[in-house]
Amino acid sequence: MADDREVLREVWEGRLPVAFSLSSDEVSVMEQPEPYYLLVPRQSYLTLVTDKVQKHFKTYTDPDKVGEVWFEYEGQPLKWHIPIGVLFDLYSFSSTLPWKITLHFQNFPDEELLGCRSKEAIESHFMACVKEADCLKHRSQVINGMQKKDHKQLWMGLQNDKFDQFWAINRRLMEHTGDEPFRNIPFRIYQVDKSYIQSLFRPVTDDGEPLTLGDLLKENLPDIIPKIDACVTQVIIQGVEPPLDTPIQWLSEHLSHPDNFLHICVLHETDDR
Amino acid sequence: MADGVDDQSTPVEKDEPQSPGPSSPVPSEKKKIDLLLKAAGDAPIMKKKKWAVDPSKKIGWVMEFIRKYIKCEPNQSLFLYVNQSFSPAPDQEIGNVFECFGSDGKLILHYCKSQAWG
Repeated sequence: MADDREVLREVWEGRLPVAFSLSSDEVSVMEQPEPYYLLVPRQSYLTLVTDKVQKHFKTYTDPDKVGEVWFEYEGQPLKWHIPIGVLFDLYSFSSTLPWKITLHFQNFPDEELLGCRSKEAIESHFMACVKEADCLKHRSQVINGMQKKDHKQLWMGLQNDKFDQFWAINRRLMEHTGDEPFRNIPFRIYQVDKSYIQSLFRPVTDDGEPLTLGDLLKENLPDIIPKIDACVTQVIIQGVEPPLDTPIQWLSEHLSHPDNFLHICVLHETDDR
Repeated sequence: MADGVDDQSTPVEKDEPQSPGPSSPVPSEKKKIDLLLKAAGDAPIMKKKKWAVDPSKKIGWVMEFIRKYIKCEPNQSLFLYVNQSFSPAPDQEIGNVFECFGSDGKLILHYCKSQAWG
């Protein structure tokens, strides 16, 4: 793991340029406000890094109608509780940058989005994911062996975008003792207009042979490999297309998001809008 | 739900005999999942604990169901836990949670009105 520390840093430093605009029908002043440009961390959450953007646009809309903020890309409401990079890879992978996101203060679509009334909501969602992931990897033994302040440090590391602060703790969650791999790989497979897939997947065969990304995909989406070979389906993790023969244990250790899940986007050619 | 036979807005009580639908048997992956709902802390206990739920239902839907059942006011919090350790995401499908954390053919969820674990 130590050998590939550079990969961890590269992943952590992934950024996306975003042009935020206020939904035109919510503008209450004569002139349309200019877009607000921001470089956002792929690993973070929309509602965690957009305080400045929200503050800026609030001055252009009717204060009496300001409700909970939400974000949308080409008609698709964006779930704040999915990491920003995953949202981009899923909905906008082939679009040009900057990524154009529309901001709303009205008509919160509570059928589709979870409410996010405070930073605590993001923190508890994030910690729930970390705990769930460790339940899959180590039967919760590592996370339960930590102190409250360690949990806090994970969150503060993410919130303040501090790689060393975060990884000082996270390395314990990502470690495996000796040659023992994770019990199961915490992963989620996303496809446009479908619920995400999560299942149990051991990173090795019964004989201890490492299993690969291709093996994991085949088990969860049996007809996917021919589609990838025919280039009608793409598999994206952290903005890149990893080779299908990459060991899944390595991917889990290095390309997981801070929530400790490996978020896999499966894009079909027909998704193009 | 595609077949429309057992499209209900509440889970099916487990002990009730299920009338067979007029159409062909439901494929096994569509089979309902047995949920065991257990109270923790000061939460009221549910008279019926075992419920059969469609795997495509979301965690958020189960939470709404519990809220109504135990008459949890909208301004009160309700927490749901898997394995007495973490809260599943409300948009997660029951089928996924069962697949990863179910045991002995059922999924045990604890609910409480104040944060119990973590």
